[in-house]
Amino acid sequence: MADAAPPSKSRDLDKLLLRPGNLVGPTFDPGVQLRDDLQEYARVLVVGAGGLGCELLKDLALSGFKNLEVIDMDRIEVTNLNRQFLFRLEDVGKPKAEVAAKRVMERVSGVIIVPHFCRIEDKDIEFYNDFNIIALGLDSIEARSYINAVACSFLEYDSDDNPREETMKPMVDGGTEGFKGHARVIVPGVTPCFECTIWLFPPQVKFPLCTLAETPRNAAHCIEYAHLIKWDEVHSGQAFDPDNPDHMKWVYDEAVKRAELFGIPGVTYSLTQGVVKNIIPAIASTNAIISAACTLETLKIASGCSKTLSNYLTAMISTVKTALCRYNGVEGLHTKVTEFVKDKDCLVCGPGVLIELDTTVTLKK
Amino acid sequence: MDGEELTEQETALYDRQIRVWGADAQRRLSKSHILVCGLKGTVAEFCKNIVLAGVGSVTLVDDRVVTDESLPANFLILPHENHYNGKTLAEVCCDSLKEFNPMVHVAVETGDISTFGIEFFEKFDAVIISCCSLGKKKLINQKCRKLSKRVAFYTVECRGSCGEMFVDLQDYKYSKKKLEETIECQIEYPSFEEAISVPWRALPRRVSKLYFAMRVIEQFEDVEGRNPGETSIADRLGVLKLRRELCETNSLDESQIPDALLERLLTDTREFPPVCAIIGGILGQEVIKAISGKGDPLKNFFFFDAMDGKGLIEDISGPSTRS
Repeated sequence: MADAAPPSKSRDLDKLLLRPGNLVGPTFDPGVQLRDDLQEYARVLVVGAGGLGCELLKDLALSGFKNLEVIDMDRIEVTNLNRQFLFRLEDVGKPKAEVAAKRVMERVSGVIIVPHFCRIEDKDIEFYNDFNIIALGLDSIEARSYINAVACSFLEYDSDDNPREETMKPMVDGGTEGFKGHARVIVPGVTPCFECTIWLFPPQVKFPLCTLAETPRNAAHCIEYAHLIKWDEVHSGQAFDPDNPDHMKWVYDEAVKRAELFGIPGVTYSLTQGVVKNIIPAIASTNAIISAACTLETLKIASGCSKTLSNYLTAMISTVKTALCRYNGVEGLHTKVTEFVKDKDCLVCGPGVLIELDTTVTLKK
Repeated sequence: MDGEELTEQETALYDRQIRVWGADAQRRLSKSHILVCGLKGTVAEFCKNIVLAGVGSVTLVDDRVVTDESLPANFLILPHENHYNGKTLAEVCCDSLKEFNPMVHVAVETGDISTFGIEFFEKFDAVIISCCSLGKKKLINQKCRKLSKRVAFYTVECRGSCGEMFVDLQDYKYSKKKLEETIECQIEYPSFEEAISVPWRALPRRVSKLYFAMRVIEQFEDVEGRNPGETSIADRLGVLKLRRELCETNSLDESQIPDALLERLLTDTREFPPVCAIIGGILGQEVIKAISGKGDPLKNFFFFDAMDGKGLIEDISGPSTRS
């Protein structure tokens, strides 16, 4: 690998950082030193090496970040290849984090990417504290909640209930589904954290058991009846394995029977897989756009860095807008940027909720 | 691919995207042929996206030899000199793209396509050009329009943290589902030449300043005989003078094209990787929409500026073609 970044690459970033723009506040003093810090000192963790993760690693590396790490517990599957462009057919079965790190290092000189093939819960909390910024390319609310809780756990408040800047751990969160996606910045103590705004996510689809058992109305109900109710009735003791094609075929056949009984159209094998495995439809272009938006946010945060950690966040706080950027690629094209306010009573990122109890109150009440 | 049905391999590989746009759209994509000219970072990103989507073929045109300067924003070029030494941009990108999806036929075409006859363009369903002069853009657009077959035409330019995209689908008909009904839609697009000839005073006040700024820079390069992107801060006075002239002709206030924006476009001629990815992603999506016939296509300009993070669609067309 080259010893120094080719001068041409640095020049691109110079243009962005060596000029005060409307991204940064009056206390921000751009200079060559910052760019060097960005490249030499900023440590970014990418959580997830899937559709968003692959794009994030590429974008961050091309944008000049030198120290990246990536964590992902999954192995590569054929259905990943339509968008996770770092992987090839012969990579199927290998750990995503390891192949992704290797491929990006081959294509971008000077970047070091350390892969971690494990669950996010397997790492010590202190592992996460090592990074300046955490970029999320996740596909579930649970995983986001976990990382959010970890990042917010580093946050400390002073005696006046003000967040202490040097304990803030910024996160950049991206999410996509089909043509839709979002990119957002979370700075614990400053912006709403993930839990403060959990109401933003659409309600997760869970069917009431009575609907499945008595009154199905659509194909998904028939499928879930076969999957969640009928399977156990017939195969008591044997767990349903979504990766076993015979199990899936059994569920499909049962779902078809039920659909016929109730006159419901639309049960297909593909839908059966989708419902049972909770498959998220995904395409390359949405992931590319959202990851790039996340990279821009990461750059803005990092460019607020200077050598002394306390200056880092002062410059940044004055400039960060709590913005959620939403993208919808099918109905024309909409990018909407919305501002939100932190919930000061949030149990995860707030200073703590003061509970005053009347001594006569008991738990029963 | 031959045959009407998707192969088992295609169905497995494309499962996640078939769930988004359907098997019909996937079939149409796999029969489509795309021509791409001008292989800098944004177009490289675009090529990645359409190759992954599974188009039938991608033909690459760019005879410029790969240098150190090509590396920073172009992920398709491996940064080892013995890998790219002496090869053209088209050749190196071709090798990389083939790896992303072996089912897509990726090939190189050499020469100046603006000198090719219209029968060359008839082979394609979409033509995307970048890094080329104003004259060449107009010429290739005209060739696409002369064919009886509809060939979608796109241009894309990224300079520093800004990007512009133009779309010409000529007379475009498509259908979409609204609730339980299927509605037939029709949009008429102006050519690039027609669009940029629309008098500036006829445009709405809040049209993106980037549109005007790009036109000034484009005219400047044309008049001065420069290659696209061959500008610097030394051209500042020349560009401001041209701005004054154009604004007078168009009865537009000069403040609509800020000095600072023009200066950025003059000096930041290199591409910025995240902007390449955003524009390349949106362009990819537009081409997929046009080929599959699904989804409302963008009409007709798209602008992005990383400084404010805003993406804007502008409809720049004469009265007869306004939707």
